[in-house]
Amino acid sequence: MAGETLTIALSKGNLLKPTTQMFSTVGLPVEGVDEDSRNMVFSFAEPAVKYIMCRPTDVPTYVEQGAADLGIVGKDVIEEQSRDVFELVDLGYGYCRFVVAGPQRMQGIPIKQLNYKRAATKFPIVAERFFRSQGLQVEIIKLHGNIELAPIMGLADIIVDIVSTGRTLRENDLVELVNIMESTTRLICNRVSYRTKHDQIQPLVELMQNTVKRG
Amino acid sequence: MKNREIPKGLRDLLPEEVAVQRSMEQKAAHLFTSYGYREVVTPTCEFLDVVEAGTGGDIRKELFMFMDRDGGILCLRPEMTVSIARLAATHMQDEGFPQRLYYMCNVFRHVQPQRAQYREFWQLGIELLGASGVWADAEVITIAAKTMRAMGLDDFKISLNQIAIFNSLLNDSGLGESDQNQIRHLVERKDLVELARVLEGLDIKDAIKESIALMPVLHGGLEVLNRLPFAEHNRQAAEAVGELERIYQALQACGVIEHIVLDLGVLRGLDYYTGVVFEGYSPDLGYGLLGGGRYDNLMGHFGFDRPATGFALGLDRLALVLDQPKELPRRFLVGGADFATVVAEADRLREQGCMVEMDVEGCSKEQLQAKLHGRNDYHLIYLGEDQEVN
Repeated sequence: MAGETLTIALSKGNLLKPTTQMFSTVGLPVEGVDEDSRNMVFSFAEPAVKYIMCRPTDVPTYVEQGAADLGIVGKDVIEEQSRDVFELVDLGYGYCRFVVAGPQRMQGIPIKQLNYKRAATKFPIVAERFFRSQGLQVEIIKLHGNIELAPIMGLADIIVDIVSTGRTLRENDLVELVNIMESTTRLICNRVSYRTKHDQIQPLVELMQNTVKRG
Repeated sequence: MKNREIPKGLRDLLPEEVAVQRSMEQKAAHLFTSYGYREVVTPTCEFLDVVEAGTGGDIRKELFMFMDRDGGILCLRPEMTVSIARLAATHMQDEGFPQRLYYMCNVFRHVQPQRAQYREFWQLGIELLGASGVWADAEVITIAAKTMRAMGLDDFKISLNQIAIFNSLLNDSGLGESDQNQIRHLVERKDLVELARVLEGLDIKDAIKESIALMPVLHGGLEVLNRLPFAEHNRQAAEAVGELERIYQALQACGVIEHIVLDLGVLRGLDYYTGVVFEGYSPDLGYGLLGGGRYDNLMGHFGFDRPATGFALGLDRLALVLDQPKELPRRFLVGGADFATVVAEADRLREQGCMVEMDVEGCSKEQLQAKLHGRNDYHLIYLGEDQEVN
């Protein structure tokens, strides 16, 4: 089964540039790989790889269902999608954190006082899992964007969101209450591809691990 | 509008799909029988206690459970191995062993439905009860591979491991049960990132850490067993490695070695496995097709301590990767003015083994020709008053 094309699902957006940089370091072709291009699929003959451009949230789905063998995606997305995929390498870039945030006046409150509050979030699974693990009952309100608006308008008491620098929080007079987890970009793999294309995937994994170690 | 809803994750199987499934079942039955396996059927529901005694409690979130009228908790069977172990412990204690049994049954799991994953799905498999030793494992793995081949699949791999290698390594580490379970879970899910982080934080020997980190990526032929230095210092691990080698060699004699890969990251989810475990994959489907292994303690839960080994194959998944049959069987449609003549002709053809439909609507020859327009798998016979046959 060796020598078959390896299909890799790439996250569009701000992960794409560091991903193509890393790919060229490990010897994968990147010529012309650009999300502004009209192409959604990029094929190369030597080595035989195919990239597909996906919304980050779709990458775990492509990989779980075997439409792609490998995927490049943030741990935040992996957690929220909860897909059954292998997670092979921490690529280090694309750092962000899941946090619970609330209005200034809540700064420093003990976590147990979040009980029975309402939390607005784009990430209901991560939020629900976190509060439940803390033994807290928090009502989750799923929104699709501008989460910071929810506490201002009284739709929710707190929010669960992704931050990288914390600027958006500050601009909306919100403060971080709890750091739920940190996230970086990962190489994920389909369960079956890992076995059937092991000879192609394992060397790539080792190259990427070494690249990360060297920083 | 009548209600046409069916419960989530369940399916109707239409004639073409059933034909594919029955054809797979026939091929498997033929193969299993040729190895001396006999078919059994167990009840669709079992007591929860029985299922959990076998599988461990983790499976509960995937069970369809309900109460009987005496307050007992029942569940739809989530797999067949536990039921077969119970059946054998109940009915076969006085028979000679080993016993070879096979099954073809529907099983039920309350999972998120998606492609290749349904809440009711069909499994067939074998259990070789009362035999320990690598020849028994080799027989079961060989039949697993030959089943795939019999169904027309040539491009597939079976990944093989001996879970005692990993378990004895964990026992040697001196870690507590919850740490061990966490590591097992991470290796099983191949979450190498979290595994590395957890190992870093643990106060155990570096050599053991390195070996644990290596296990999920060791994959290949016999040579991967040389990359397990710790096995020399651990008697149980060394024995398990030796067993894996002997099974590999036995499989060379069985003619299926081209499909076999050693993969020390295969642990299988169910608690009852004790030794050799394996999984089968096709590159055309992102989900496993079959799984199995040795479960020497399971029958003991039902008061009849015997070693055992077996496998189960998911028919719904296999159907997704098989080529559809190219040619439909040739059929006859017999019509005519006189019913008795039509019946006689149809019966005559059926006795020759043909598939024969009769026109039961009293159509004319032209009407029947119109019905069959474009259907070149049909052969029309119209019996007119002059007995003309076309």
